[in-house]
Amino acid sequence: MAGKFKHMGSLQIDEAYLAGLGDADFAPANQEEKANFIADRKSISYWADAWRRLRKNVVAMVALVVLIFIGLFAFVGPAIVPYGYDEFNAGAENLHPWHYTLEDQARLAEATQSVSPEEAVAKAQEEAAAQGKTLTSIEIAKIRAQANVSNQVTDEDGNVLSGDELNAYMRAQLGIKARPGGYSVGELERMANGEKVFPHLFGTDRNGRDYMARVMMGTRISMIVGVAAALLVLIIGAVYGSISGYCGGKVDVVMQRIVEIIYSIPEVLVILLISMVMNDTLKEYVNLNRGNPIAQLINLLGSNLIGMFIAFGMLYWVTMSRIIRGQIIQLKEQEYVTAARALGASGGRIIRRHLLPNCMGQIVVTTCLQIPSAIFLESFLSFLGVGVSAPLPSLGSMASDALNGLNTYPYRLFFPAIILSVMILSFNLFGDGLRDALDPRLKK
Amino acid sequence: MAKYVVKRVLMALLTVLVVACITFFLMNAIPGNPWLSDKTPSPQVLENLNRKYGLDQPVHIQLVKYLGNLSRLDLGVSIKMQKNYPVINIIKEMFPVSAKIGGFALLWAILVGVPLGCVAAYNRGNAVDSVLRVICTVGISLPSFVVAALLSFLFCGGLPNMKIFPTMFDGTWQSYILPCFALGFYPMCYISRQSRAAMLDAINQEYIKTARAKGLRTGKVIFKHALRNALIPVITYLGPQVAFTLSGGFVVEKVFNIPGLGRYFVQSIQNRDYPVIMGTTIFLATFIVMMNLVVDLLYKVVDPRINLTKGGK
Repeated sequence: MAGKFKHMGSLQIDEAYLAGLGDADFAPANQEEKANFIADRKSISYWADAWRRLRKNVVAMVALVVLIFIGLFAFVGPAIVPYGYDEFNAGAENLHPWHYTLEDQARLAEATQSVSPEEAVAKAQEEAAAQGKTLTSIEIAKIRAQANVSNQVTDEDGNVLSGDELNAYMRAQLGIKARPGGYSVGELERMANGEKVFPHLFGTDRNGRDYMARVMMGTRISMIVGVAAALLVLIIGAVYGSISGYCGGKVDVVMQRIVEIIYSIPEVLVILLISMVMNDTLKEYVNLNRGNPIAQLINLLGSNLIGMFIAFGMLYWVTMSRIIRGQIIQLKEQEYVTAARALGASGGRIIRRHLLPNCMGQIVVTTCLQIPSAIFLESFLSFLGVGVSAPLPSLGSMASDALNGLNTYPYRLFFPAIILSVMILSFNLFGDGLRDALDPRLKK
Repeated sequence: MAKYVVKRVLMALLTVLVVACITFFLMNAIPGNPWLSDKTPSPQVLENLNRKYGLDQPVHIQLVKYLGNLSRLDLGVSIKMQKNYPVINIIKEMFPVSAKIGGFALLWAILVGVPLGCVAAYNRGNAVDSVLRVICTVGISLPSFVVAALLSFLFCGGLPNMKIFPTMFDGTWQSYILPCFALGFYPMCYISRQSRAAMLDAINQEYIKTARAKGLRTGKVIFKHALRNALIPVITYLGPQVAFTLSGGFVVEKVFNIPGLGRYFVQSIQNRDYPVIMGTTIFLATFIVMMNLVVDLLYKVVDPRINLTKGGK
């Protein structure tokens, strides 16, 4: 272009340039030349650019991988573990996530239960008979008492041990080591007969239900609740926020007053109430309308879960609607909106086709950060006993159940607690990464 | 200013009223009644009971009556959990316990969180900052019941020779330590993150440069000039945090068996003790709304630049 004009900044075409033009300059462009007109660098779309930035964020990618693993654990895991989350395994109650081989168990039994009282009495009677004497009832009672006492051992420090402490002490003495994976005695015997038995990797609960299957199911429920609640919040918030922002004026004022009131309602109090009410109301509805497809659906999902969704949908969309309203108010002054309106597009179409796609970044980030808070709330409600109801497990209710007998079975708290915390942490970190990637201006 | 205060107070009253109405209708929508678990009383007895406590009238009349009593600060009597005992007395007995734990929790959260945030901001980018960031990010991902249960396992006899604190809450100062720590952990991490961001923002301001140019010592620059401005976002957060601490109180009170209002509230819903549900909800709601109001007004005092009346945020 440089030689085209008389001098820099001038719009008058240089005469020398005009004189130099020949017929070839006015011939139509051939295919090859046309291809060259297209910019050689491929244009990068908003999403591709965001994905490029996100991929560079190590923390967010690690969080994503962790989330994928937790997802596999929750959704594929139950297909691998042959135990159902509500299946009672008789004889496998209160198993630890480790086991001792049958031989080791026999050795331990031999070492600790020196003699049972009856055996001691029988033995003493034999000895007495050999000497031609009979034992008086007082003597028999003494022997019995001694046999009971001999079930205790005094260790090097002079502590008298019995029960679990004695077992632990004797195992250390005999060099018996725990092996990973919980098996009941019956299962060990079946294994000895050549059968293959899947171990209870996380142990079992007091009803003999496989704890890992329960944790998997609880994780699945937490994830579903998190994502579904976030989507619900997204839909309600997007509709409310965009209408309020686009219409403006009196409509906006009224809608924002409503938002303000909902915003200042102490949500936890109301959510506790709502999920309780919804749960019982839905249960009654299901009982009255057996066979009705809606009732069956409610029954399938669990009335508690639906109650929680409703509670969530009623109160948590406020933040989302505020964010979307703010965005829409900014965007609606743009020229392309005026152009669309001039072409006769309706308000709904402008919102759907022009405004919402342009605040997609914000929407995605807010939705993603809503997931962990929904999981937080679900586990909180379940912990208090108003969330997911039995027999469905939830990480929160499992942690709550683990409080009884915490000192004996601490891992019953650890497994759900760790998965829950790691899941929330990963969602938080991934959401932060997504925010940085989609909206670099917000980066702190 | 006066206009703003009046408007906010009216708004707060409206909120409490809305909460009262929602609670009232929700409560009556719960199937079942307070007498369910009693040994199935005869219809005659049921009728008498309902009449005695005014449950035989239509819901809207009950509500109007209740609101009338409420305006005279009469919250009625418990009909199930502590029969015929005034709800206001229950609140008077239980709330101080919850408030003490919540108050101490919030106090340590602020006293530790703000300095930690400042330290992190001051050491921006180096190891100290990274460690603090990891702790705080993990901290805001741990549900309070997980923290509470872990603490109770670690220090109440789960590990050998580590039984430092009593398992059951007995009102001694030792039994306050774990609940307060558990309850304050999340806010501490959150406050620390907030104040780090705010502090970073403040450090880069012109007036900090001016202060340094005048030759002030670093300590004075940070604490006198930067911190005061960095505290503003922290204060905004405190209002909602009071609510959060109270709700966290529900689970912490459950884990440590604390006879507080939060635990009682959950139990009252489970027992369908209508007046107790209403009374505790309205009390807690009023408390939270009031705290938000106080914080918003405090905000103005701390930062005179903020203009509350003209849509200033």
